[in-house]
Amino acid sequence: MAEAVQVQLKKGVLELCVLALLSKSDAYGYDIASRLAQGIEMGEGTIYPLMRRLQGDGLVETYLVESAAGPPRKYYKLSNAGRERFAAQKAEWTHFSTAVNAILGGAQ
Amino acid sequence: MTRQDFLARLRAGVRGLPPAAIEDIIGDYQAHFTEGAAAGRDEATVAQALGDPDRLARELKAQASLNRWEVERNPSAAANAVFAVLGLGAIDILILLPIVLWIIGTLFAMALVAVVCFAAGAAIMVAGPFVIHGGPIAALILAGLGLIAVAACIGSLTAVGSILCTHALVWYGRLHLRLLKPALDPQGAAA
Repeated sequence: MAEAVQVQLKKGVLELCVLALLSKSDAYGYDIASRLAQGIEMGEGTIYPLMRRLQGDGLVETYLVESAAGPPRKYYKLSNAGRERFAAQKAEWTHFSTAVNAILGGAQ
Repeated sequence: MTRQDFLARLRAGVRGLPPAAIEDIIGDYQAHFTEGAAAGRDEATVAQALGDPDRLARELKAQASLNRWEVERNPSAAANAVFAVLGLGAIDILILLPIVLWIIGTLFAMALVAVVCFAAGAAIMVAGPFVIHGGPIAALILAGLGLIAVAACIGSLTAVGSILCTHALVWYGRLHLRLLKPALDPQGAAA
């Protein structure tokens, strides 16, 4: 039960976390995956379907950067729509988590 | 699992997608292995951290067919989307099955009633005046036309119902997959 709740919670915030990472700086797939995997213990592979969807929805754009080690890296950057989406989701999340925290705090 | 195994299983899983999309997807995961190797991780560790390639392939395919349904809105795209979502196991089929069966049964019954009404209406309109001698011909023809109109009405209700059900299922699938666009598009209005 606890595990199922965790999985759902993580899935729900994954998009928000990716948008947050990209709002700080552009990043390539492996970089995003390993940073998120460290923080919230996600399967690293799930990042690519998510990035494809974000790209399809016009929230992120990609460009190639030559890399010293191996083939060029595909970098992701937020589009304007992506920035707006991030601001909206962040506000929603803050509102939601504040409300949940207030209830959790009151239940001690 | 080695890099080769992982990529082969992923490639097998996404078969059927446009070739350009497949190369794109494989390229992403290939790059991931390359970066992992550069960071000093061996193939098995990277493959394990990536997760189950079959599951990832199903997710990528489901996403593609959901997108196709949004663009194409025809029965084949709908069936594709429904099966892709079901194939993910995203929907708890045991909980959903009774509801789905009930809805499909209702829609089927409505379609059947529409067909029967149509046939009966046509029969009364065409054959009525000959069979019932001395009957009011105009009234019989009108009754027949009325029944046909009722049939058409039930028929279109059935079609609308089926479209709404597909929307609901796709919506539910997206919800589970987190493929959901946060501000839900007014999909019902578009149908």
